[in-house]
Amino acid sequence: MLQNIPIQRKLMTANLLTSGAVLLLTCLAFFAYEVLTFRQSTVEKLSTLGKIISANSTAALAFDDRDAATEILAALKAEPHIVAAGLYGTTGKLFAQYPVNSPAAFPSAPEQDGYHFERGHLAGFQPVMQSGRRLGTLYMEYNMGAMYEQLWQRGKIAALVMVVSLLTAYLLSRTLQKQISMPILALAEIANAVSKQRDFSVRAVKFGEDELGLLTDAFNQMLAEIQKLNATLEERVRERTGQLEIANKELEAFSYSVSHDLRAPLRHVDGFVDLLRKQSAEKLDERGRRYLDIIAASARQMGTLIDDLLVFSRMSRGDLRRAKVASESLVHEVRDALQGEIHGRIVWKVDSLPQVEADTAMFRQVWANLIGNAIKYSRTRDPAEIEIGCTDSGNGEFVFFVRDNGVGFDMQYVDKLFGVFQRLHRADEFEGTGIGLANVRRIVSRHGGRTWAEGRVDGGATFFFSLPKTTN
Amino acid sequence: MAVLSTFTNRWVDYILKMLFRSWFVMPALLFASGLDLCAQTMREYEVKAAFLNDFAQFVEWPADAFVGVKNPIVIGILGDDPFGDSLGEIVRDENVDNRPVVIERYQRVQDIKACQILFISQSENKRLEEIFAGLKDRSILTVGDFDGFAKRGGMIRFVTEKNKIRFRINVEAAKTANLTISSKLLRLAEIITPGKD
Repeated sequence: MLQNIPIQRKLMTANLLTSGAVLLLTCLAFFAYEVLTFRQSTVEKLSTLGKIISANSTAALAFDDRDAATEILAALKAEPHIVAAGLYGTTGKLFAQYPVNSPAAFPSAPEQDGYHFERGHLAGFQPVMQSGRRLGTLYMEYNMGAMYEQLWQRGKIAALVMVVSLLTAYLLSRTLQKQISMPILALAEIANAVSKQRDFSVRAVKFGEDELGLLTDAFNQMLAEIQKLNATLEERVRERTGQLEIANKELEAFSYSVSHDLRAPLRHVDGFVDLLRKQSAEKLDERGRRYLDIIAASARQMGTLIDDLLVFSRMSRGDLRRAKVASESLVHEVRDALQGEIHGRIVWKVDSLPQVEADTAMFRQVWANLIGNAIKYSRTRDPAEIEIGCTDSGNGEFVFFVRDNGVGFDMQYVDKLFGVFQRLHRADEFEGTGIGLANVRRIVSRHGGRTWAEGRVDGGATFFFSLPKTTN
Repeated sequence: MAVLSTFTNRWVDYILKMLFRSWFVMPALLFASGLDLCAQTMREYEVKAAFLNDFAQFVEWPADAFVGVKNPIVIGILGDDPFGDSLGEIVRDENVDNRPVVIERYQRVQDIKACQILFISQSENKRLEEIFAGLKDRSILTVGDFDGFAKRGGMIRFVTEKNKIRFRINVEAAKTANLTISSKLLRLAEIITPGKD
């Protein structure tokens, strides 16, 4: 219940509640004890007084002397709290009474011996004995009002003492709680400043050598550590980034030059295979001509590979020239361009697609790769179904997808899909270089988007990529 | 007293009615008034008998007044017995300080042996001095109910005041006989000092 209030209030509340409870319990215990002792001592007093009166009134009862009995009872006026007293004879009739003209109603006959409390009065009977013989019964009634009056007075004093005590406790705890709360508050303030302003140079002030002092020391030490780490971290990040950039540039330059330089020898191979076929075909036997065909095919494949690598390299290196691109018309354009590769029947389903801001050439490359893949991997289906669409993710992105009902893939290998030269199918099943999806990922990520895929073996595949709606 | 007389009156009424029918009114009336008087006297001696018994509780005898620890307290009646059966009834199951109470009747003072309370009947009025002389040095509480009993050396005398039985006590006489009379009893009594008034 105290969880969310400030620590100063918490400490004071705890102090005041504790001292208040202790005071209250002490007072209650004291009062209970007082009431009990008072009652007990009153019973004892009354019974002693009764014994004296009884002893004195034996002769009066024995010799039937009402005047003497009345006189003896009259001695009770020394105790003003006794409001009524009466002597009963052995016959049970009221024999003498005090006060003589008492307005009090006397019991008509004696009841069982003993005293009991009743409506602020203590009343009861005790036997009048002489030499072991019962001569009658004494009745007495004691007004406890005085006692309750006295208790009320004491209660008022106790209440006053409680108020003063609580006030003192309040003042004391207000002063003393600072010993605990001040260092914590100071610490909290510093912590707040650190987390808000990210200023790790401030230090908390230490108040003493207690646990709070230790806490302050530990806190300051942590701040110093963070400050030091921060300083070196920035330095290190800058250093590493520089190194990475250099390495990346070198790598890109290297792969570009390799790809580019590989084309020249390849053209020689291709050209001379051609010449050989034209001029010396008849000199070769069947086996020789087949070898020539294989060499030509391999050279062409290598050419494709190098072309793809060059594209990939260009996509990585070239600057982004962003412009508004109408996705839908671009998709149709790409589809039409790929018509030549289509062998079977395809059911197309193209949703309306939004206009985006992107590098047109790169964006076209993305669609060409994804649609090309869809056509390629669904060519065993009749009809093949390809769906192209876009959804609004709701957090400032368009999510495009290309779905086919082709051979699909095992989700276990989904991480490998977008890697360079990573292929899930053998080249004799589906031709390809393993660079297409790597290119898609690179282009999309350069546009600030993400790529992913879902699929099932023989259950088709869906490739997603997202693009931010606006670009800064 | 009142209850008794009401009861008697009713009884008398009943007899009267019976007798009236039988033409015996006058003798019956005479008889009835005599009966009433008789009843009153009986009642008086019943109370005195009870008091006599109660004195035992408020008087201390010296140790040599009893022969043994368990010996009874003896209430003696010297002369004519005015109590009838009432005293016997009262003391039957009485027990004072573990002693039973018994009644003995004497005609002559010489007959008195172990005795703690002695009621001296009105019949002994003339011989009172002689009796007291005979009881000299004996711890016997002497009680009487005739005029001058206490003044003449008796210890407790019953008097009837306002229809109530009270007593006069001659403390000197009791002291001489080594008897201690409880102050509780004394405060109910009128104290008589012989020789004065």
